[in-house]
Amino acid sequence: MWGWWRFGKWTVLITFLHIIAILIFTKGFLLTRTELPHSSHCSDLSQSPCHSSPSSSSCWTKPAVDRLIIIVLDALRFDFVAPSSFFEEKQPWMDKLEVLQRMASENPSSAKIFKAIADPPTTSLQRLKGLTTGALPTFIDVGNSFGAPAIVEDNFINQLIQNGKRVVMMGDDTWTQLFPNHFNKSYPYPSFNVKDLNTVDNGCIEHLLPSLYQQDWDVLIAHFLGVDHAGHIHGVDSTPMIEKLEQYNAVLEKVIKELQNQSGPGKLHENSLLLVMGDHGQTLNGDHGGGSPEEVETSIFAMSFKDLPSLPSEFDSSSCEPSKNICISSIPQLDFAVTVSSLLGVPFPFGSIGRVNPELYALAVCTWNLDDDKTWNNQDQTKLEEWFQNYANVLCINSWQITLASSNKGIRLDIAAASSVIGFSSEDLFRISDLYSKADENWSYTKNLLSYKNGSSNTSLPVLKRQIVAYSNFLSYVAELARSKWTEFNLKMMGTGIGIMLLSLYCHTLAIKKLNKSYGVSLLSSRDSGISFGLMLTFFMVLIRAGSLLSNSYILKEGKAANFLLATTGIMTLRYSFIKNKMLIEAAIFLLLTFIFRIAIEVGLYKQAATSQFMSSSSSWMLGISISQSLWTYMAEIVPILALIILGYFLYKSISSCCWGIPKYVIMGTILSYFLIALHWISESNILDLAHFLKGFGKNCIPRLVYAITLVQLSLLAIVPMFSKEETSNCRGSLFVKMMSILSACSSTIIILQGKQGALVALGSLLAGYCMMRLQGIEQHTVSGTAGISILDPLPVLQWSLLAVCLLFASGHWCAFDGLRYGAAFVGFDEFILIPQAILLIIDTFGFSHILSVFGLPLFVAFPSPFNQTEHKSLFPIKLFWIFMVYGLITAITATATILCVTIQRRHLMVWGLFAPKFVFDVVGLILTDLLIFVASIYYFNGVEDRIGNAELRRLW
Amino acid sequence: MKEELEKNPQSTISSSQVFFIHVCCGLALAAGFWVAHHVYSLNLVFDPTKTLCLIWAIEFPVVILLFSCCRQKPEKCSYFTAIARGLLGLPVGALLNALGALALGAPVGLQYLEKTVNWSLLMSSFTFVPTACVYGSSWTDWRRIFACTKPNGPLEFMLCLPAHGAVIGAWFGAWPMPLDWERPWQVPSPPYNSLCLRIFVFTLSSYVSLSLMSKTGKDFSCYLCSFPCSNFAYLLDILFPFSILRTPFHL
Repeated sequence: MWGWWRFGKWTVLITFLHIIAILIFTKGFLLTRTELPHSSHCSDLSQSPCHSSPSSSSCWTKPAVDRLIIIVLDALRFDFVAPSSFFEEKQPWMDKLEVLQRMASENPSSAKIFKAIADPPTTSLQRLKGLTTGALPTFIDVGNSFGAPAIVEDNFINQLIQNGKRVVMMGDDTWTQLFPNHFNKSYPYPSFNVKDLNTVDNGCIEHLLPSLYQQDWDVLIAHFLGVDHAGHIHGVDSTPMIEKLEQYNAVLEKVIKELQNQSGPGKLHENSLLLVMGDHGQTLNGDHGGGSPEEVETSIFAMSFKDLPSLPSEFDSSSCEPSKNICISSIPQLDFAVTVSSLLGVPFPFGSIGRVNPELYALAVCTWNLDDDKTWNNQDQTKLEEWFQNYANVLCINSWQITLASSNKGIRLDIAAASSVIGFSSEDLFRISDLYSKADENWSYTKNLLSYKNGSSNTSLPVLKRQIVAYSNFLSYVAELARSKWTEFNLKMMGTGIGIMLLSLYCHTLAIKKLNKSYGVSLLSSRDSGISFGLMLTFFMVLIRAGSLLSNSYILKEGKAANFLLATTGIMTLRYSFIKNKMLIEAAIFLLLTFIFRIAIEVGLYKQAATSQFMSSSSSWMLGISISQSLWTYMAEIVPILALIILGYFLYKSISSCCWGIPKYVIMGTILSYFLIALHWISESNILDLAHFLKGFGKNCIPRLVYAITLVQLSLLAIVPMFSKEETSNCRGSLFVKMMSILSACSSTIIILQGKQGALVALGSLLAGYCMMRLQGIEQHTVSGTAGISILDPLPVLQWSLLAVCLLFASGHWCAFDGLRYGAAFVGFDEFILIPQAILLIIDTFGFSHILSVFGLPLFVAFPSPFNQTEHKSLFPIKLFWIFMVYGLITAITATATILCVTIQRRHLMVWGLFAPKFVFDVVGLILTDLLIFVASIYYFNGVEDRIGNAELRRLW
Repeated sequence: MKEELEKNPQSTISSSQVFFIHVCCGLALAAGFWVAHHVYSLNLVFDPTKTLCLIWAIEFPVVILLFSCCRQKPEKCSYFTAIARGLLGLPVGALLNALGALALGAPVGLQYLEKTVNWSLLMSSFTFVPTACVYGSSWTDWRRIFACTKPNGPLEFMLCLPAHGAVIGAWFGAWPMPLDWERPWQVPSPPYNSLCLRIFVFTLSSYVSLSLMSKTGKDFSCYLCSFPCSNFAYLLDILFPFSILRTPFHL
């Protein structure tokens, strides 16, 4: 181990520096919000200063609505709902939901269109979370378990259940993931198949209309997905989209008609409220997730089936279209949870920072009726006053609830932790409590006034109005503060992190220089081995790649950009092979492979959302076109299996040439694994009627068996060399065997996790690796006659690392959280257990691009370079270590560039949509690479010093 | 000129000839742009296929006619043979250029085929056709000029540097393609207004450097410096269509 430590101390130092730097930077950059398990209860209200309602039956607020119908239309753009006269020009997709516009213009007091502003990230899951909890989204949800992201925070649905409301859900199965045990009845339909425009919608329609007649629910949620899917596949300006919108219009028309029929006194929907809303918008291409206006702006249409007077103008914030008699006001989505809670009379969700929206509230709260002549007679005046009092009371409760959630001066004992809910500093808390206490004082004064002067309404109305304004100010201040805090960064910590990162880069280069020196000195080379063309090209490529991370569109197309650089190096090597007139075939194959990888990346990028289906159909991945003919399906089934057979054959060939001891058994084990994987795939497909034959075997058995074989192989490889010291004369040969055995051991698990594409990608990377190995050092000028002058050339290492990036994208991943293939976590497992599933997901994501790449690095040492036959035998451990270091340096430079770019672009629109996920991916990748290099160097160096001898190693240093 | 070349079989070329050829090529390019712009009101941004087609259709005959004058061994190979070689070289070079573009990431698909074909024909008339006219299919010469980059004498420089400049310029033109142009520094300056100026600068610099070279003997450094730089400048403008080729990203 002594010899290893001489080299390896650098690895340890650099890994340590990386981890420290990343921890510090992340602390300054990523704000994490802990989700609190508290929830609000009915009984809490007794502690509030607010005027509690006299009747004991109601909870926090007096219920104004008995039944609530929420129809969620996924990815509903604002201009789908709003009349086209609000926009500069009429587009084909506008004015399709005309029933909503008609309702809003016919009865403006009971139906209204709102522009709802969502908070990014605008993905369905995050938005449903935001809608139901009324809180700002978390970037990384602490306590969020992937795959089954059930909400632990207090939320609107939870409050409904606690207070005995019955909830029926139909449509998108995301709801059942978020609220696994909440619904009385649910009709979930799978949401992941974006190409399927109709299943979810037809399911919704099938259950929605009959449900309207039933009495067994209080809240009905119907989530339609067609518009979202149509956008993803065809874009907004397309016939399927318009057909979808027309279909929705027909459905909504039926629903509204039914509700109107049932809305008479004593009937089922006497006191119902209909909400038609989107969870987020979409761009014209159908994308969403970011924070651009198109994605953020969605719509809420609210309609109650009572005749209500319109709201007094001072709370009316709407902009009107005089010609069509439609007014549209805007509402933050944050406000949705509290407003609906207050309408239904359930406690507000604990973490909500929204405000009860007066206009939405007024649509449903019916405490007085206005006469037709629209004059405020005395009775109306009292009614109006009652409404104001009611609303002031609701706002009082609202403010009280927010201070509970945001202040540590709250009433509950365990509230100290709550200050972290929104991440306020003590000053902000002080300001909040100051504002609150002012409003509160005002309120106690108002309350006194009201209780004394119960009759004369002339004075109390302005007082109430003032009170409402005070509360509104407080509430909007809190929401504004929460939003601004959400995007505030700790620049000092970020700067420190970057500083340490740069220091680690310096150490890295220092270590490489030292290695270079020991390599050069021992060679006694006469020429100055300073700058070769390969070195310059490498520098240039790494710099250009690092610089490209500054642009969000490069991050989106990172795979293609990396492939572009890889192809450039390929063309360079092709040119050199022309000069040397050697290895032409290898260079051409390498270029062809980059082309194939590029196609794979493009298909992966083409519909990122569609990649989740790769598990089930790799056919679309392979050819990029929808394949219906049976021949193609057969091809899609057979080609991966063929690839697997070829891989197995390569392995078999490799052991037949050098067969001894443990490695042989390991590789045999891998071949067995490949056989099992092929069997697994055959049983999954319908080519042969093997399914019933394997039924008793169980579909989880094969993957688990493969995992077990891999574990046994790895432990054999780790433990056995400690006891047996086999002397081999050939260092290179033994290195090759070691590399083959560990690569084969890892590959079987990775292939089964990646699915059918895995075999193809593995075969492609094997070929590419072979070509690179053959081509390495081709541009070096071999000086005829002089023995073994070899400049360490970083170009192959750069190619290898670019190839690793390409592999990440080619295997259907990308640097975003929806780029994780959750399906891989469930290969071989049916139920969700955190640790094994997380490990499987990491192996799937980083399998090719990190694990196999790092363990495959000795490729460049294990074979003698055809251009450099006379290399000194004893030098190859140094060369190996040098390669590890350079590979680590390239990864570290890229990660540092990502960190720098994220810092520069921290005010960018896409910082949470693109830069932050990329940052997380790169940082995790860097640490993983460091650790893998550490493990790999121990693995490969174990026993090396025995062969070379300590004395010689010391001489080298 | 033809007679002049025929007198010295190991054809050397004077700086005025180089200047003449460059000016003609540059003018042809400018004429192509002018015709596209003013006669057909075409634009590289909005209709790359037709514009590229028009440009190469004008550029290619000029190139082939001019460079055939400088053919090697004129006693063995007639002017028309040289032209035939150039005509043959055009599709071959286009194929190679298209393959290179595809390897680097030009989009695949029938709907892009036309654009790629036109682009590679234009590239071929910059890179492949001149050498095909001059050297025909002499593998050693090709290898010396393009693989080893060891041009010998002004004629080979005249073949080698513009071709390399075109390829490198195309590479640099392709690299910033994924940029979203949403920041002020990413927006390119109005490219086509400055085009004529750049062509002028390019021809002038090539002339100056060539005359310098002919006086100072083998000091090619000036040539090396000035020539490709100006070459890049106008190639960046020309190869902007490459970015158009790749714009249809549907994410």
